[in-house]
Amino acid sequence: MREARFRWNGADIPFREGETLAAAILRAGPSDAGLGYFCGIGACQSCVVWCDGRRVEACVTPARTGASVSGSED
Amino acid sequence: MAVTRKLRAAIVGAGIVGAASAYFLSRAGFAVQMLDAAAPASGATGSADGAVSVASKRPGPMMEAAIRGVETYRDLHGAGIFEGVFKERSTFMLAQDAAEDAVLEAHAVALSGNGVELRLHREDALHRTVQNLSRAIRSAIEVRGEGHAIGYEVTSRLIAASGATVARGCRVNGFRTASRSGSLDALETSAGTIEADLVVLAAGGGSASLLGLASALRPRKGQLLVTERAPALNAGIRGSLMSCRYLMSKDSTETRMTGSGRRFGLVVDPLRTGQFLIGGTREETAERGTDADAVRRLLVEAVALVPRLREVRLLRTFAGVRTATADGRPLIGRVRGFDNVLVATGFEGDGICLGPLTGKIVSQLARGEPTAIDLSPFDPARFATQEQAA
Amino acid sequence: MRDPDVLVVGAGPAGISAAAELAAAGLSVLWIDQRDRPGGAIHRQPSAASTAIAFGPASVRNQWRRLHARFQGTGVSLTGETGFAGIDSDGVAILEQRHSGTTTCVRAKAIILAVGAVERVLPRPGWHLPGVCTAGGMQVMLKETGSPPRGRVLVAGNGPLTLALATQLAAAGNPPVAVLEASDPFRRPSHALALMRSPRLVGEALHYSTRVAFARIPWKRGRRVVAIESHGGALRVRSVAKNGYVETFDVEHIALHDGIRPNTFGLPEGEARPFIIRAGDCREALGAVAAEVDGKQAARRVIARLRGEPAPKPHPMLNAERRAQDTLASLFRPHGDAVPADLPDDTILCRCEGRTVGDLRTLLAAHPGISPREVKLNGRFAMGLCQGRFCADNVAALLEHGGETGPVSADALTGTRWPIRPIAIASLIRDADDPNSSTPQ
Repeated sequence: MREARFRWNGADIPFREGETLAAAILRAGPSDAGLGYFCGIGACQSCVVWCDGRRVEACVTPARTGASVSGSED
Repeated sequence: MAVTRKLRAAIVGAGIVGAASAYFLSRAGFAVQMLDAAAPASGATGSADGAVSVASKRPGPMMEAAIRGVETYRDLHGAGIFEGVFKERSTFMLAQDAAEDAVLEAHAVALSGNGVELRLHREDALHRTVQNLSRAIRSAIEVRGEGHAIGYEVTSRLIAASGATVARGCRVNGFRTASRSGSLDALETSAGTIEADLVVLAAGGGSASLLGLASALRPRKGQLLVTERAPALNAGIRGSLMSCRYLMSKDSTETRMTGSGRRFGLVVDPLRTGQFLIGGTREETAERGTDADAVRRLLVEAVALVPRLREVRLLRTFAGVRTATADGRPLIGRVRGFDNVLVATGFEGDGICLGPLTGKIVSQLARGEPTAIDLSPFDPARFATQEQAA
Repeated sequence: MRDPDVLVVGAGPAGISAAAELAAAGLSVLWIDQRDRPGGAIHRQPSAASTAIAFGPASVRNQWRRLHARFQGTGVSLTGETGFAGIDSDGVAILEQRHSGTTTCVRAKAIILAVGAVERVLPRPGWHLPGVCTAGGMQVMLKETGSPPRGRVLVAGNGPLTLALATQLAAAGNPPVAVLEASDPFRRPSHALALMRSPRLVGEALHYSTRVAFARIPWKRGRRVVAIESHGGALRVRSVAKNGYVETFDVEHIALHDGIRPNTFGLPEGEARPFIIRAGDCREALGAVAAEVDGKQAARRVIARLRGEPAPKPHPMLNAERRAQDTLASLFRPHGDAVPADLPDDTILCRCEGRTVGDLRTLLAAHPGISPREVKLNGRFAMGLCQGRFCADNVAALLEHGGETGPVSADALTGTRWPIRPIAIASLIRDADDPNSSTPQ
């Protein structure tokens, strides 16, 4: 399957079609430090990130090619 | 009066007015017992917008009272009681078109005539003073020296500082009249008989049934919104933003009602927490729900003032029920027919601003001292149908 | 969007079987989920088929095959990526289309809430640190990516789900260094015997316990985690046994779990219009098999209601599942108070607002007799972004310890209101039916 990419805190993160932002970030490894992943079902709000200017829960938001994602407001 | 023991004050209602009364009465030497049908700040106080503000008051006794109300906050802040719960900030009253400009100018004349410190900001100067405002805003009056206080926080501080005991879940079932005519000597409550030398009724709408004031007091609901924290956006907005239309919505005689019989007056208040408080509605009901129509309309208007609020999430909606009077002025004073019963209710949306001042006035009345403001416009006796129900 | 007869919220076992049943009966159904495909947390599907690992016992896999066939057969389609913001005072459901950044307000005749459960996680010193997640959170990530977290993993808490996670981690190639269990089920043989009455539970217990044993994962019972600290880029976890024995684990990840509870925060329920009922774990946390039956049952109640027919009788199978869950709960009941009364003052209680156990104690000491609502407002508990989902139960338990107020329900802290989760203002002011306008009708 072709791997697409988005930006996470300045790093390039590859993802698979249908994968969440959190899954891709955690799978990518070392750069997951800034992601407060906790409950995995959108309930705890610990993994809320800025994605293209919107605040979303990384664990339930599908990754999209070219998205700019960061742990804090730029 | 020669006393060998402390006089006992029983305060019915543990909202901000009751709590402030407890604070000032206990400083005046009373032993204070508070009681509330639910719990402190469970009524309008706990669901208020928290404006400690002169800006929106109608010229006349309410504006004069509000000026003294803000002073009382500053005094208590200076005394350390309100440390960390009173945020001093300006109110910016915003005009978006020529008609609103005219309303604003007339209001500015009234405010400055009462000695309120104002600044007029126009065009670019306005946008330098308040960041992130929509460019559609043409002008603003900055009312300086005002503030914000969250009702339940202030109430909690005042009760703690008063040392009063609070009976929660305690309902008043009736009054016991003293052998001496014209006074009460006890309250009959769900928690038993509470003897008192002084009774203060500060139970908001609950005061109506106690005093037979049902025709004078009416519920007026307000829906309010709180956003998540947005510290960067919050920091650029250094005061409360009030749409000029708020003035119009506040005037009960104003006929700008929507089809559903409710009025909208927009306030966007940057809170200490970095959150924003957005209000509110005025609706002729005591039901406390919040509905999508009202919330979306408030948010559309808020975004029109501060476009970047789009980037923030709505965290909470809630509604409070204010106790309003037919003429828009509260009832503060002695209850006719009793020499030791005081009432303080009917503040509608001004309870947070006027609550501490009212507590001080209650204590002054109890001690027979001159009051901080002229009480004649607030005389409970102006509603002729008043009679004791219990 | 045309208002549907029935709105079904959630696409786990309860939501799937409810939506399918309603569609088969010919009702118009709007079926939504925050994710883009059905399954829920229990049947979270892998993002790529090649990474799929056959997790879980046969009963779980069979259920997914059954549910999948069911919704495909009825042709009911899921409206995915839709956030459910709650139900307003007029009975209007507020739905956020996450992809387009718009909102729809829906007036349905009936609403079935099948939003599942949330995990209970007890406060422990350091539970807010990076590297700490819930067992369920680690589990859904494992199912979705097919790969376990890198580095050493510790699983701790209470209940059978910790064993399920350990099994799945082992299957994915990274067994945990240990599973710490607060209770001691081996000391409760009579409850273990009672378990035998449920063949399915016996099957699941055998499935997980044999795999845990086979992977040589130490299952340490009667253990509590008393501290989690950052230590040289990893986590140092201190555990204490009932006899006082202290054991320390250095790991990169720790998964915590102390049970589940219905995810009913903020949600109304009622017979009035709209008819709002809960189904599955969101009504009563009985697990996936019961949820499937309960979803169907909820749909039948709605169908009867809309047709003016008498309500169907409760399904007998739910009673059996309840007995089985009660047995499990007895077997895994930890000793002592659920929330230890001796937590250090600096232990975080509210993760969202950073409020601590000490903050709560100070508040209670300064305001004797304080009510739960005052604790909420003045202590800022249950007021953060998660709306009390991860602190309300714990605060209520600590208030009960205080002993002045009697039993305290988490509802007293959370109440009924919307939004049930933060919702983007940008979305709320854009109506999906008129996305160019920011003026709601």
